Amino acid sequence: MAGGKTLYPRGTLKKIVKANTNQKLSKNVDILIFLNYALFLQDLIKEAGIASKQSGERVITARSIRKVRADCLAKFAG
Amino acid sequence: MSESARKKQRTTSHNSEAPGDAEEGTPNSNLRQLAGVIPKPITPFRRASSAGPTSGSRRTPNIAIRTPGTAARTPRGGPTTRPITARRAAPTTPHAILALRERAARTPGHNRRRSGRIQRETPRDTLRNLSRVLARTTQAVQPSEIPEPPPRNPALDLPDIEDGPDLIAPRLSMPLGDMYDDDSFHEAPPRQSLLPELPDDVDTGTMHSLEFGRRALSEDPRIMFTTRVSERFADLNELGVDGDEFEVDGTFINRRPTADQDQLLDEAIDEVLDDTTTEIRALTGRRDGRPSDINLGVFGDMDEPDEPTFRFTIPPRIQVPLQEEAPQDLDGYEDAGMYAGLGVQPDIIASDDEDDAVGGGEMLGWESDDNEGEDQDLQAYRGEASAVDRSLLPQSPEPRTGNKGGARTQRKETKISPLGNEYRSLPASIVKRLATSFAKAQGSKAKIDQDTLAVIMSTTDWFFEKLGEDLVAYSQHAKRKVIEQRDVIALMKRQRQITATNTCFSLAQKMLPRELLQELRMEPLPKLKGGRQKRKRMETIEEEDRE
Repeated sequence: MAGGKTLYPRGTLKKIVKANTNQKLSKNVDILIFLNYALFLQDLIKEAGIASKQSGERVITARSIRKVRADCLAKFAG
Repeated sequence: MSESARKKQRTTSHNSEAPGDAEEGTPNSNLRQLAGVIPKPITPFRRASSAGPTSGSRRTPNIAIRTPGTAARTPRGGPTTRPITARRAAPTTPHAILALRERAARTPGHNRRRSGRIQRETPRDTLRNLSRVLARTTQAVQPSEIPEPPPRNPALDLPDIEDGPDLIAPRLSMPLGDMYDDDSFHEAPPRQSLLPELPDDVDTGTMHSLEFGRRALSEDPRIMFTTRVSERFADLNELGVDGDEFEVDGTFINRRPTADQDQLLDEAIDEVLDDTTTEIRALTGRRDGRPSDINLGVFGDMDEPDEPTFRFTIPPRIQVPLQEEAPQDLDGYEDAGMYAGLGVQPDIIASDDEDDAVGGGEMLGWESDDNEGEDQDLQAYRGEASAVDRSLLPQSPEPRTGNKGGARTQRKETKISPLGNEYRSLPASIVKRLATSFAKAQGSKAKIDQDTLAVIMSTTDWFFEKLGEDLVAYSQHAKRKVIEQRDVIALMKRQRQITATNTCFSLAQKMLPRELLQELRMEPLPKLKGGRQKRKRMETIEEEDRE
């Protein structure tokens, strides 16, 4: 993808997950977690785009994201 | 004439075994005899109903011969031709009737050919013909006597199975009179809209519509406290703040204006103090944003033991469960709110994000000792100001990065997870890049400004919190200490991201660059395929059990 290196800082993501779980991670979990996050973000952006269009805005605004994020989070709750 | 008659006689004599003595008679008698022998010429309508070449159809009354050539091929005038007409008199068997009708329908152009006869060829006519034919032979059906119902299976009539004669035949209609019995399990029938006349002592309260007045949507208490954490004022009122000092107005809680005069004085004083003390602190290089620290030197001798309990009551912007670190965390928010409310430019809030924690380790220890010396009123007001959405206070400048102390601004914003661990959230640039690409792919304008990014970042943090909880739950359920890929896969299955058509790898192929994909694929491959599917399925079952 864009950017010469990897898509995301793996160490940072691992640290985030570790901090939120207090558990160890197996070797490549972070990739899957990032995949999940990417899907989430995609969904969020998509919904926000729809919401912003509905309210007549042209770009995705903070308001539209605030509007949809609860739903998106609920959708991605396990 | 006679010749022709003879010819005919000759021809017929082959088949019909015309009596030999007929030759002795006059031609007239011959003719008459012939007329008796030869069946009357059949109306073409009947032949048309048979709808086909006369010959050959005898063999297969069932099968319609559609090709005209077959009829031509059969020898004309063969021995079969003659008796056919007699045989054709009436198709009696249902098979034949059906076949005839079918053939009539299938013959191409049969309508055109027999255009004059179409009216007579209706199925009704066929049926009428049939009825005429059948009428001779059928008799009216006499309803035979109903045979006795066969006796019950004697195997059922075992002596010990006694169902007895006392079974009552079930009624097939609803007994309307019994419907209002108390023991009836049926619901009461709908009442008429006109109330029946009732005695005076009957309470008719329930007979009327029980609908209460509805609230406007804006006043609905369920909507009042919804998603925004900043609007969670219910907690504020529940825990410790005396309610008469605040009033609920719409979605916000305002302070009653009567107390404001004193408050303004306090603020003015505080402002002056703040201006001086911030510089002092900048010189000393301390890293803290606590107003109590500011006032430490001034009001430091007052001790208020109940202050921490108040601090617990204010919910933070990020949902932080109440733990040891929580109070300090809250202090940070409180500060932000206070500065916003008072219009002071603080130098201590390193980040521009409103919901990031200030907490650094040494700072926490330091300030936990001396959070005294604060006016209780002022404290309450500050708490309130922090919690009220800052957009309501138009005069307040945003607490941006500090104007002094450049070393502090370099500090990366760290957050504290619900479990009490510090972490840094994903770099904003990466999130922005990702979001931009998604927005582009989605078709809308791929512009994400600062505010939007901030919201996305906070949403990201929430997402990872939730994800962490879920992953912990899954791995602990499997009695593991390590979070493995299966956990994530189980999670994604529950999110319905992985379905039968959408495997984990197809998703990864879509979303991830190649090097990550390779790494992802490298590990599970050796033990993959057979075991993995089963395991996945098992896990999902287990999850469902868990709930």
